[in-house]
Amino acid sequence: MLVSQQHASCFIPVTVILTVMLTLMGCSPENTHYQQPNGIIYCSEGNPASFNPQLDTSGTTVDVSSHQIYDRLLDFDLITGEIIPGLASSWITSTDGLTYTFQLRKNIVFHSTSYFAPTRTFDADDVIFSFNRWRDKNHPYHEVSGGRYPYINSVGLGDLISDIKRINRYRVEITLVRPESSFLANLATDFSIILSAEYADQLAKADTPELIDTHPIGTGPFKFNSFRQDRYVRFDAHPLYWRERSTTEQLIFDITPSSSLRLAKLMTGECDSMAFPTHSQLDIIRKRKELTLDEKPGLNVGFWAFNTAKAPFDNPEVRRALAMAIDKNALMEAIYFGSAIPATSIIPPSSWAFQPDTRSSTYNPLGAAKLLRENGVEEGFSMTIWAMPVERAYNPNAMKMAELMQRYLRDVGIDANIVSYEWSTFRARLNQGLHDSVLIGWSADNGDPDNFFRPLLTCSAIDSGTNRARWCSKEYDKLIDQALTYTNQEDRAYFYSKAIEMINDEMPLMPIAHAFRYQAYRDNLTGIEINPYGGIQFRNVSKP
Amino acid sequence: MLKIILRHASLLILTLFVLSFFSFSLAYLFPGDPLVNLTGIRGSSEQEYALLAEQYAMHSSFIVQYWQYVMHLFSGNWGLSFSSGLPLAEEISRSLAASVELSAYALIFSFLIGLPLGFLSGLRHHKFTDFTLLTASVIGYSIPVFWAALIAILIFSIQLGWFPLSGRISLLYDVPFETGFILIDILLSDLPDKEFAFQDALRHLVLPSVSIAIVTCTIVLRITRRSIVEVMSSEYIQAAYARGLSPRQVFLRHGVKNALIPILPLLVMQFTTLLTNAMIVETIFSWPGIGNGLIQAIYQRDFPAIRAGMLAVSALVLTFTITIDMVIQIFDPAGRRPENATS
Amino acid sequence: MPRLNLYQEEYYPSPIQNTWKEFKENHAALLSLYCVIFFIFLMIFGPFLAPYDPLQQNIDLLLVPPAWDNNGDISYLFGTDGLGRDMLSRIIYGCRMTFGISLVLVIISMLVGVALGAMAGMSKGLRSSVVNHLLDSIMAIPTLLIAIIIIAIVGTGLVNSMWAISLALIPQFIHQTRDIVRQKMKKEYVLAAQLDGAGKIHIFFNSILPNMAEMLVVQVTLALSVAILDISALGFLNLGAQAPSPELGALLSEGLTTAYVAPWNIALPGAAIFFMMMSINLVGDGLRSALRYRLLR
Repeated sequence: MLVSQQHASCFIPVTVILTVMLTLMGCSPENTHYQQPNGIIYCSEGNPASFNPQLDTSGTTVDVSSHQIYDRLLDFDLITGEIIPGLASSWITSTDGLTYTFQLRKNIVFHSTSYFAPTRTFDADDVIFSFNRWRDKNHPYHEVSGGRYPYINSVGLGDLISDIKRINRYRVEITLVRPESSFLANLATDFSIILSAEYADQLAKADTPELIDTHPIGTGPFKFNSFRQDRYVRFDAHPLYWRERSTTEQLIFDITPSSSLRLAKLMTGECDSMAFPTHSQLDIIRKRKELTLDEKPGLNVGFWAFNTAKAPFDNPEVRRALAMAIDKNALMEAIYFGSAIPATSIIPPSSWAFQPDTRSSTYNPLGAAKLLRENGVEEGFSMTIWAMPVERAYNPNAMKMAELMQRYLRDVGIDANIVSYEWSTFRARLNQGLHDSVLIGWSADNGDPDNFFRPLLTCSAIDSGTNRARWCSKEYDKLIDQALTYTNQEDRAYFYSKAIEMINDEMPLMPIAHAFRYQAYRDNLTGIEINPYGGIQFRNVSKP
Repeated sequence: MLKIILRHASLLILTLFVLSFFSFSLAYLFPGDPLVNLTGIRGSSEQEYALLAEQYAMHSSFIVQYWQYVMHLFSGNWGLSFSSGLPLAEEISRSLAASVELSAYALIFSFLIGLPLGFLSGLRHHKFTDFTLLTASVIGYSIPVFWAALIAILIFSIQLGWFPLSGRISLLYDVPFETGFILIDILLSDLPDKEFAFQDALRHLVLPSVSIAIVTCTIVLRITRRSIVEVMSSEYIQAAYARGLSPRQVFLRHGVKNALIPILPLLVMQFTTLLTNAMIVETIFSWPGIGNGLIQAIYQRDFPAIRAGMLAVSALVLTFTITIDMVIQIFDPAGRRPENATS
Repeated sequence: MPRLNLYQEEYYPSPIQNTWKEFKENHAALLSLYCVIFFIFLMIFGPFLAPYDPLQQNIDLLLVPPAWDNNGDISYLFGTDGLGRDMLSRIIYGCRMTFGISLVLVIISMLVGVALGAMAGMSKGLRSSVVNHLLDSIMAIPTLLIAIIIIAIVGTGLVNSMWAISLALIPQFIHQTRDIVRQKMKKEYVLAAQLDGAGKIHIFFNSILPNMAEMLVVQVTLALSVAILDISALGFLNLGAQAPSPELGALLSEGLTTAYVAPWNIALPGAAIFFMMMSINLVGDGLRSALRYRLLR
């Protein structure tokens, strides 16, 4: 009696709910592509520290800003590596190598946003402003946003340029203090961007000069829309961009620090491309039909740097001993999964300065322990290994590498503690020299070997923050400077080989690996190319 | 009735004061300068610091400082976050709205499923349907909510590709902030492709709310079942049958009402459990809610944000609980509700 | 002459025996009881059962699938994780940690809660209703929320999370105990004991506690399942047990990074938590039903 009639009255609400649910779920289950507005979402790995790459060398800042918001005087051709015209349509070098004259393009329009409307096109004033900002310590904008220009200072561009002259509205002349063959390459890096002098004037009058780096204006293919910390950066297309570009109307950087989440979003289509696939993810990406993986050998090096300003790491024998305690080949498999080659020096094999027969440290734990004891490092000595929290091509998982190294160090009686912070906090503290040793690396900004030797180990690079070993050797600096006075590759290579020998003797850092560079994206994306010399470019990228 | 309202109102105000006092003293309990912890402004110059110290009465006694703090809270100045530098009041209200929206939809969903199934199970007491539903409910109740969310993502998002797994809506839609409830905001805004945006937001809602709702669904089921079983064995039901009403009429006219009313407060109380589960699940689905915000603040040691988030969440939960309690007491003074039990 | 015993002595089972008889009838609950015993066994003998050291990293054997997969290896029954650690050993140690810690926490909270609740229940009239209502309000907040808030203040870490959860569980015990003690104080046998001159403590331990015991056991199973969920939730959120600790929630969170290559890193620890909770819930349910029906059959 109770059973039959209750049946009906109870099942009605249930069926109603089921139908509602099915309608809510949309149409057929195969419907994964639904109408979306025109735009590209890129899963990036962290927050940019600023929107001006002059102020920061971090790959995150460069990726977001350099090729999206800005242009440079010169650019690198992505395939050949040659220097091609950018905002400068042509240039002439004087015979003594001291004077460069650049002819600037006409009719290039700056961004028009809610906070700025340009009244004139790009001209020499913008070039002069962009250079003098970092060159001239008394420039009103020099100290704005910190006054540190790490890349530029680490290559010594400020001291290299003696004068910049405006010849006419579209002609600029730059004079150097001495001839330097890497000068043009430095102008094509991600960091030599051109800002808007008119915008700078407007901000100075409103007494809000720091907005130039947080609400940027440039000539690049995308203009800044908004930034929400830890969430996203929004860009809109610049309709009056001077080069040809794709039809994409929006570009969004979806900030996702967790790499497995990035991969998940790439697989479901919530991101069209992702930053830094870890090596364990490469196989998955290759197997999936709708994803594509591009790879190119990279100009990078991952290393373990010792803080040579702190005892006992100021003793080269201690450093060599620590390097002997680690089995680099084991790290290759566990961290890089075979997508990197062990490094014998800081220069990768793809560079012309590479020396194939360099002897580097070999794995010898007994010898390491002996050397440590001889130099006063007893059992139970405790040191910190700072592991960077972000992935980079040169070190996809510094935390895991540090854990593995902990084991090796324990075998020689050293107690290692792993230290890490959020990325910008991490770099800020590294700059203060609080570390004993750090797992970090370097990606080249141009094809010139000077771009490895100078920013990593010269004395002036300590202040700019790229010399993590805080190593200062006058002989080394001399070798590097001398190499620049010659234009012949063989002559330069001689000095660089001497520098490599010195690094291996003194071991301020232990080079670990040179990695391949990868780009993972969904099949329907076209126009995306790996940039071996710097940040990602979305100018030509589009989705049908 | 006035007495009830007064009693609860005074309890609410007392609890809120205790909470705010606690959150104020956190500024001292956390490491670092208390004024910096209160305002969230770091690296200010001498004059700015002195000015802030004036505003927060740092040189007076503890009680005066506390009073200043409360004044600031009321005027909407909850300080700035260490990591983003943005005013906390705005951030917290946005995240709170996001979490409440998620929990609300999950609650509705669990009612829609749990109530009918609970009725079914209660009416088939100790029969086969009852046992299957009970078993299902124990299974659902024992699943850790974060595991359920992860498995749901693995199957429905990655494997089958039916639903997205992060955020409230695709980033390509820039929905302006009005109420903080995204479905309403979409309808209120003037986006060109509203229906698509709405559909997109719904798709993003499904997986998180279902994973949270599973646990609550089972609790609702069990509570309803127990209530129905008790009601159907009571005397007035027997009397109704004796009068000749059909089972369906008995159920609809007497059963439903008398079963639901005593448990309504219990059911609504599930909101707080839902909110807590939502806070965990938010981290998995990158939902920009208060749970995600609070946990990120804990990782980054963002003390002002921890303080403000904690105050906001506890204040919300306590206000909700006390208000519901008050409403119950107003409408059901006999206090017929059963013990706080889950079966 | 041998006496003929025509009637067997009447046999009155004690309440506990009644409860046990009723409990035994419920097959699901009985099975879960065996599961719980199994977990306790694991907890005590885990280190002897685990084939490998849970912290031992093995670079050559990263992400090996479980033994029932084609690429699996029988010596690694549940496969290995991203650093080459054996999942079976990690899960055994993890169960040990999660279950053991929850047990310890519940016992501590129970002792403190019952003591406080008894004191509150036995002292008369002076407790203002404000404190009672405050307690009720706090009880309405889910324990995980209280735990997260406490952790936000004192910082992350396993020990801090243990304090947080045990603090969060105490109000439940206080409330239950106080209610029951209040009820029992009105009974006649307590009155009789008081008239006999028994002191408060004597009354509590001899008259009230034995009658409370079953309620307490039910409460303990409830609290245990809540504690397991909370400990693993905090471990999952990295607010409690930190890597490389093998706690089950922390295992889940570590498994996330390799979830698509190696779904067993998520499925297996989660399943362990699920079984633990289900068995405890079923035992608790069975107990409650048994207590309710023991006198009705």
